[in-house]
Amino acid sequence: MPIVFACAASHAPGMTAWTEAAPQEQADNFLGNYRKLGARLAGAKPDVIVALTVEHWANFFLNAMPAFCIGRADHYDGPVEEWLRIPKTRVPGDAKLAAQLIDACFDGGFDPTFSDELLLDHATFLPLHFLNPNMAIPIVPIVINTLTSPMPTAKRCFALGEFLGRALEEIPKRIALIATGGLSHWPGEAKHGKINVPFDKMFLGNLMSGNRARLTAYSHDEINTDAGSGGHEIRTWIALAGAVQSWKAELLAYEPIVPWATGCGLVTFNPQNP
Amino acid sequence: MSLYQLQKLIYHVNRDAAQRDSYRRDPAAFVKSYELSEQELAAVLNVDVRALYTIGVHSLLLRPFTLLNKISNEDYAKALKGLE
Repeated sequence: MPIVFACAASHAPGMTAWTEAAPQEQADNFLGNYRKLGARLAGAKPDVIVALTVEHWANFFLNAMPAFCIGRADHYDGPVEEWLRIPKTRVPGDAKLAAQLIDACFDGGFDPTFSDELLLDHATFLPLHFLNPNMAIPIVPIVINTLTSPMPTAKRCFALGEFLGRALEEIPKRIALIATGGLSHWPGEAKHGKINVPFDKMFLGNLMSGNRARLTAYSHDEINTDAGSGGHEIRTWIALAGAVQSWKAELLAYEPIVPWATGCGLVTFNPQNP
Repeated sequence: MSLYQLQKLIYHVNRDAAQRDSYRRDPAAFVKSYELSEQELAAVLNVDVRALYTIGVHSLLLRPFTLLNKISNEDYAKALKGLE
């Protein structure tokens, strides 16, 4: 079984940069579960982490904005943000697996950008801080543009995930597949701090029940209005849902943490009939 | 309208340590490499959160840039009050 672990996790920078600003009970529940998720990942003994991730102007700018970009580097440096309170480090990449996935995509009807040098920001480094604390497991980042319009649709993200799930079946390695971002948040906006709990709970419900029709029907405007500019990151979760459709989602934690300005979710997926 | 140039400047400061150092050493000299309007120039040199936001700088460029300039969450929110 090539995918041995799958999870989706929020990455609000406050989790590390201003941890103590959050009510302690919420922070303890969320971060405690994040660490438990890291232990579960380690227990699955993956050879590599494939990260369905996003970025916040760490690499791409408006001169050229890829919808999907697969990192093919031997290593990745980060985090970009010096205020994140995560030490700058280098995490190994799996260039060989990345090249295999890129080839598979081009053969299979997807045309991602690829990159031999990506800086990673909190979107990837914050989950790795909890899920790959020694930064020892190599990664393949797959960056989805959730930053600036137009963005790939929820339907397209689900299809990419579905495709990657099948492609990873062919890989003779143990793969941990992680998605990072969301849930509702309005980062840096005048509405910063707003969290739409009903939206988040509905979305998590759709994920739990594997509601493909609903997950692929989220429109840009719906996400933008109800989940904020940061809510677009749920596209990574939707892609993950596409990759592990036969697996059952398990909610580990949901905390709307106002000082972190984010509806924070942690979901792991388990094979139904292992 | 040179929002593209203004955002490019902020993008460079946020992501690139060498350019960030250069910006910090001499902001007035640093901004000369970008084609900015008078209004944009003033907004960026004063790190005027409200002006930069109103001009249309993407919130995920603006917030990291203001964090680098030591603007607290409280002061950032205060600067944007009423724009919700």
